Amino acid sequence: MPKTWRNHALLAYALAILAFLYLPLMILALYSFNESRINAVWSGFTVNWYASLFNNRRVLEALTNSLAVACISTVISTVLGTTGAMALNRYKYRFKAAINGLLYLPILIPEIVMGLSLLVLFSQTAIPLGKVSLILAHITFCVSFVVITVNSRLEGMEAELEAAAADLYATPLQTFRYVTLPLAMPGIIAGALIAFTLSIDDFVISFFVAGPNSTTLPLYIYAMVKRGISPEINALSTLMMLTTVLLIILAHLLQGSPKKASPADE
Amino acid sequence: MKKLFILLSALLVLAVAGCGGGDSKQSSSGGEPQVLNLYSWADNFDPAVIEKFEKTYNCRVNYDVFANNEELLAKIQAGGALYDVIQPSDYMVTTMRKLDLLEELDKKALPNTQNLVADLRSPSFDPESKHSVVYAWGITGIIYNKKYVKEVPTDWSALWKPEYRGRVILLNDNREVIGMALKKHGRSNNSTDPAAVKEAVDDLKQLAPHVLAFDTDTIKQKFIAEEAWIGTIWSGDASFVYKENKDVAFLVPKEGTTIWADTLAIPKGAKHKELAHKFINFLYDPKISAQNYEYIGYSDPNEKAVPYHSKEYNDDPILKVGAAAIASGEWLTDIGPALPMYDRYWTELKTGK
Repeated sequence: MPKTWRNHALLAYALAILAFLYLPLMILALYSFNESRINAVWSGFTVNWYASLFNNRRVLEALTNSLAVACISTVISTVLGTTGAMALNRYKYRFKAAINGLLYLPILIPEIVMGLSLLVLFSQTAIPLGKVSLILAHITFCVSFVVITVNSRLEGMEAELEAAAADLYATPLQTFRYVTLPLAMPGIIAGALIAFTLSIDDFVISFFVAGPNSTTLPLYIYAMVKRGISPEINALSTLMMLTTVLLIILAHLLQGSPKKASPADE
Repeated sequence: MKKLFILLSALLVLAVAGCGGGDSKQSSSGGEPQVLNLYSWADNFDPAVIEKFEKTYNCRVNYDVFANNEELLAKIQAGGALYDVIQPSDYMVTTMRKLDLLEELDKKALPNTQNLVADLRSPSFDPESKHSVVYAWGITGIIYNKKYVKEVPTDWSALWKPEYRGRVILLNDNREVIGMALKKHGRSNNSTDPAAVKEAVDDLKQLAPHVLAFDTDTIKQKFIAEEAWIGTIWSGDASFVYKENKDVAFLVPKEGTTIWADTLAIPKGAKHKELAHKFINFLYDPKISAQNYEYIGYSDPNEKAVPYHSKEYNDDPILKVGAAAIASGEWLTDIGPALPMYDRYWTELKTGK
């Protein structure tokens, strides 16, 4: 008897935690169907906000800006971060510990300091604020995360495999392409995903370095507060949540059949 | 793995195509459409009006947004020549004029600004409208719900009545709230006299414990949902609330009040000055102005636009109250060294000392 009681309590606890995590999101989604232009009272069901969302050029532009900045900075920071991690991991040189430590710094310093210092840098070097400055800033804070994720993957890899490849007359390039890269790939993908998420979420740094034609979605939503956030934003958030869920399911499906997939890939 | 690679590279191609496409649109086509970089509050124009401007002048409007004046100031100081038209509020115009950040407007290129209501053509922050033109304006007044507030309030002291305890909202703004109390005592909302400010704040300290919230961002929701019964509000927001809840009413107390405005201005060194003037002039065309204000819901400062507005807009009781009270409004000005005193009192009020 006490055991089932404990099970019930645990279940209730788990449900409470889940509700705590998901209730706000569900309310957000629910209000995207609210007729009223403001989220004060429920005044009726409508799907008009979804229709008007696709006609709202400003929201769509902000979304495009966010996606473009996130994609470009993810790719560049993943390439830079992966090569950086390889260098840090494979070679011995002076002040290695210090350089390693410096890589953690962008993660540790408050975003607001980083945003401000980037803004000062851009205005000192006369780099105009806009998409370019925004992408540069996003790469700056994403690189460290990629280096760290890839590095931890490389730490766990054994050097013997690469030595074996060399023994079998693989050139360094071939070793990298067919041995090192595939082994490091989970780390690289994890790093890229973190970079993408950070970039698309970022508010504080973007707030400082955005310029003409580079208002991202978080900046746009923040600025809407003055006039009241319209349910179009709820509709957009709901769609983005659905996309995320679909992507997660997709990722699981891809990961779920590695044994079947990898021989076919070769 | 290969699949993920393909996915990632597809995303990249999309992204690059996305930006590249945007750029080539601006530069390649023969007509060479100009770009107007607009930096403003979110949702501050009817999108159709901007589209009309783009078509009429064969240009593209980049509309970027900020959430407060300080953000605007920082961006303009960091390298201001990037924007062509900006929208500082009243006191920020003063600051920007002092810092020499604004281009002098060419009045000959702006004939339509003569359509402005006379009271708004010479605001104290820019008496000759040299650097700015009033765009959206509003006035602070009392909003109340007739279901709960039976006696029509006539002066600011209504907020202090014991029967509304716990149902009062004050704006979450230092100068607005202390300015309101100063007005209640018959003084200027820009008073720097320590005794006068102290008197006003002491009075507010009687009210502060009974306030439901100091709120500017979600004040509309609170009145629509009838959580709040009475409070201070800007006329534009009051009109918004009225459209959703017909039980509310709005009035400007007899002691006078604070008036505010967002303006249109051109930052120093703007690259597309000519187009910027065209844009400003375009917005004061009576027909365009009518269309624009129907959308944004504030009082149209354009006298000539009245016949083009819908009956519903012209009859909006709240906008009428606001428009009739322009003369009783006083602009907030830069109070300079007295600001720390206001800040200290504000902290005391909000922390209940």
